[in-house]
Formats: sequence, C-alpha cells, structure tokens
Amino acid sequence: MNTEGPALESLLHRLAETPDDFLAEPRIGGSGSVHVAAVIHDCLAQFGYAVSPQDLGFVQGTDPKNDRNRQGIALVAAWLLTDPWFRQHTVAGGAVLKALSISAFEMAPYVMARKFVEDPDRREEMARFALARLDMRPAGESIAQAQDRLTTVSTAERVRVFHAAQAAEERARAIREALARKAAEESADKYTRE
Amino acid sequence: MIDAEPTDEERYPTLTEHGAQMLQRLREHPCAPVFRNRSGNRLTREEVAAAKTFAAQVAEAPPAWRPGARPEWLEEFVTRCVAEVPFYRRRGLADFAALPTISRADLSEDIAAFVPDRLPIDRLINFRTSGTTGHPLLLASHPTVAANYLAFHQKALRRFGIELQAGRGQVGVVLVGFQRKCFTYVSVTPTMEEAGLAKLNLHPDDWRHPDDRGRYLEALGAEVLTGDPLSFAELLRLPVRLRPRALLSTSMTLLPSFRAQLEAHFDCPVLDIYSMNEAGPIAVATERGHALLQHRMYVEIVKPDGLTATPGERGEITLTGGFNPWLPLLRYRTGDYAALEWSGEEWLLTGFEGRPPVTFRSAAGELLNNIEVTHRLQRLPLAQWTLHQRRDGAIHLRWCGQAGLETELRRALETLFDAQTITLEEVASFDGKVIQYTCES
Repeated sequence: MNTEGPALESLLHRLAETPDDFLAEPRIGGSGSVHVAAVIHDCLAQFGYAVSPQDLGFVQGTDPKNDRNRQGIALVAAWLLTDPWFRQHTVAGGAVLKALSISAFEMAPYVMARKFVEDPDRREEMARFALARLDMRPAGESIAQAQDRLTTVSTAERVRVFHAAQAAEERARAIREALARKAAEESADKYTRE
Repeated sequence: MIDAEPTDEERYPTLTEHGAQMLQRLREHPCAPVFRNRSGNRLTREEVAAAKTFAAQVAEAPPAWRPGARPEWLEEFVTRCVAEVPFYRRRGLADFAALPTISRADLSEDIAAFVPDRLPIDRLINFRTSGTTGHPLLLASHPTVAANYLAFHQKALRRFGIELQAGRGQVGVVLVGFQRKCFTYVSVTPTMEEAGLAKLNLHPDDWRHPDDRGRYLEALGAEVLTGDPLSFAELLRLPVRLRPRALLSTSMTLLPSFRAQLEAHFDCPVLDIYSMNEAGPIAVATERGHALLQHRMYVEIVKPDGLTATPGERGEITLTGGFNPWLPLLRYRTGDYAALEWSGEEWLLTGFEGRPPVTFRSAAGELLNNIEVTHRLQRLPLAQWTLHQRRDGAIHLRWCGQAGLETELRRALETLFDAQTITLEEVASFDGKVIQYTCES
C-alpha cells in the first residue's frame, strides 16, 4: 500500500456500473457463456501485456462448483482494473495479472462474485483488496487508514493478515534458532573485533 | 534437533595443504596459548572470489554522496527495506527525511525483524556486543559479511601507504585481546592465500607461561596486529620487539598521545578505526577527522530534535545502508557523536566522541561537555578511563595505562573543573568496554 492509487469513489462507481458481460456465467465445461481467459487476455492487452497460457491457470478449471465463483470474481476484478486510471499511471500488466489472480483465489471462498457489484460494502472490499494487491491505497488515505479499513471490510484480507503473521512468526523463530546454533555462535573470521 | 559442532570442513571449506600447515603451526607452536574456541572463515570458493571482487570495488569506489545530494542508491535501498524487512514494513514508506530513526533498543528487542524476507538463514552467524548502554545485542550476519571487513581495512591502510602483502606461509593478522575471558582461535584467510589468523588473549591465564606471549607473537611475525587500547597497552609491557606493518585499533577511544606512543614503539602506523558490530568499519581517524570508508553507507548527523544537521553541525551519527544484507540499517542512531564535513574530496567525521554527550559542572558552575574532558586528557598516554561526577561536584577518575600519571592527570582536571574535589584511581584493567563519562544529575 505504499503508493497512492485512484480515489476510492471512482472505483466504487465503476464497480456499480459493471457491464452485464462481466457478470455473465463463466464458461466451464459445456455450460456458461463467457470465456474468462479470453476476457482476461483482452484486458491485459490494454496494458500492452501479452498473457501466456501459463498465466491463465487461475481462470482454468472444469468443475463448476469449485471454479465458477473464482472465475466470476476474476471477471469483475478485470473490469475494475481496466479503469483508465491504471493505464494512465502506467501500472504494469504483470502486476495487474498478479492482482487479478490473487483477488480471484483469495476472495472466492467468502463472497459470491455478483455481490462485488450489487452490495456497497462488497464493492468497497473488492476495490480496496485489488488496490492493495497492486501495493496501492485509495488516494488521500494514509497507509494505516487504508490497511485498517481493508481488514475491517474484508474477510479475505483478515485471513491473509493472519497467515502473513503466522509466516512471519515462523520465519522469526527460525532466525532466532539459527542465530543460537553453535555454528552461529562460532561466528567467522574478521580482521578486527568490535 | 541436534545442534552439532561445526566440522573443520565447514570452518575452512577451501582449506589446502598449505592452509592446514598454517593451522598446525599456529596451534602447535611450543609457546602457543590455550585456544579456547574454534572458528573459521567458512567461505566457499565462490565466496572467496566474491570477497576479492568486493575489495576491488571498495578500493575504487568514490564517496557515497556529494554535498547537497544523497546517494544514488538510497531511494531504491529504502524501498527495498520497506518491502522486504518486517520491522521497516510495519513502519511503512515515507520520504527519507521523515522516516523515523531507529536505535540499539530496536535491534535489541527483536533482531529477527531486521532480517529481510528473502535471504537464506541456513548459514547465519551472530555478532554479540556487550552493551555498555544497557542493550546487549545479538546481530545477524554471515561469513561473507565477516570476510568483507577486510576490504575496508585495506582501504584504511592504503591511506597510510600500506598494501597488505601477507600470503602463503605467513601470518596476516593477530587479533589481540586482554580480558579475563576472551574468544580465542586460529584460522586462515583464503582471500590472502591462506595467510594465518590468530585471535589471542594476552591475559596470563591463557598461557602456560606469561613469557610465552612475547615468544609466540615474535614467532608469528604477523603483518598486522589488531586490538584495542587496553590490549595494546599490555603489548607494550611485553619484553619483545614486534615489527608489524600496522596496528588497527577499534572498540575504544584511542588518545593521540597513546597512539603516538604505540607508533614510536612499533615503528609503524596505528590506525584508529571507528567500527561497530552493527555496521562494520565506518571510518578511520586522520589528522583532519575520521574519513568515511563505506561507499554504500549514508551517514547523517541527527540533532536532538530529530532533524538532520547541516555540515559542520554536531549531533548523533546516524547510518543508512551498509554491507551486511542480513541487517540493513535505515537511519540507525549509533549513540556516537560528531559533525560531518566535506573536505573537498571526502566526508569527515569531526569532533568524534564515541558516546552520548554528558554535561559536567565546574566549581564555578560552568557547564562542560565531555568532549572538553577528552581534549584535556588526550595528550596523556591513557589506555582507558572513566570519569564520574557526583552530585556534590566531586570528580572521580579511574584509568589504566602508563604508570605515574597522577600529577599530570590532577593538573589537567583541576584546570578544567576549577577546585572540585578530585580523586584518582589507577586500575590494572577494565575488562572490556565501559561507559566512559557519567554524571549524577
């Protein structure tokens, strides 16, 4: 969240006006109408980014039960992040792809895609979560304000923060253990000692 | 998990037959001390090559920044710290001057939070400091960092016309300590064709016979001796004639008069290096001030109000950058004080004092900065001292070094403090770092 992004209101407005094409049923197996991978491809082309088949793993899948909502969220997020502001501020296509992928994977267990358009609170969640994945925060907010509001509105973010804290604690414990090992205590040669 | 002792293969990964002979010579000399510990360079072949490359870069590098500018690498360094280092990430990104400073207390609280996310930790080593300020430290480092110290020592020595030459079959350095308890061992330096390295304690308890100290040092004939004023004072007392090419002094204030005495005795330059475990060698004393050594270290002087001082203005030495990737420093307040001045070609720390300022009072009520005490005492060959002023104004000076200095010490202090009660106490040793100046408020 180190960089200021667009105003939150503009993103909320864009989400509220998501075109029906981005809310249509993802094509999985024989059902659904939207080829999500193709949509993502076209969106990223606007950033001058050529998507490879491997990049699109997050919108592949053959099990409607497991894959539909993730793909639906990817569509909504793609609409959001093709807001002209991001292109005008030369956000990299690779960063957008990563934000799309993380948003789709991490929010899918908790919220149905359509809610990110229809429900005001969920619109705010989508806007803030996707921005954060671009290391951005809404214009006019401090990092602390933005982080605080995001964890308030987003279950996915709370889970992410929880896992990050766990990973950080595990890493810190490993470092402390490594520093206490006999090999670390022996240190290594220096010409002087302080 | 079993925490096994490292093997010699781990201590000396590139050891050759020549290096092994050197280790044997250092360990098995008839006058060798009791080596209480084991350690090594731990460098792989690739890391030896990298250390040589690093030394070449250090030798060629221009000053890290010029007056009116900041280092070119600074912005990217700050961004990377905030992205990858847990402690800095929690604080977030801001304009450099608005970044909060950090202190020894922050490092002491949780050093793990200063290790960047992506760095491997399987070969960590630690540097421990005693903590005369109440914050003992355990710092994360790596064998490559320890090896890279040498590049800055070489740069400092070059100023005095000395290019290190020790190589195969010779002893490059003896690190001399003088404490009741001291980490001692032998090793070889692979970047110098496995020249020998010995870390010794001159305390008689570490030797079969006290006279062995001189005999052993003579036999080694080390190119460089490193230590602190205390251990060098003990060296002066040994009945031997050593001919090192240079002495490197770290850790404690080295007074000019004692330095001159050492230079006369050993007939070689004595370098006073400002160095700390948190940052390695930072500067070397010259006639004009302490010249900065690191091209990836941005040094600011920060005033008590937290603002950066202008050149020539005195304040706390504050560091950003460094060569230890496992401990990236971002506005680290060292607890040491100086002004920073541009000489026309390099940055100098002037009026350096290795600890926070303490204000004393003369009998007439005049306030005296501790730097004035240092100025008064610097012409005397003291190895180490402490000065304490009681609430009633009485002065107590403890010192070690050359005997028979009472009259001169008393005269110097009486001149400075007027007619305060002054007591002098000569001690054999302080056994390590001390808080030099204290005052009851």
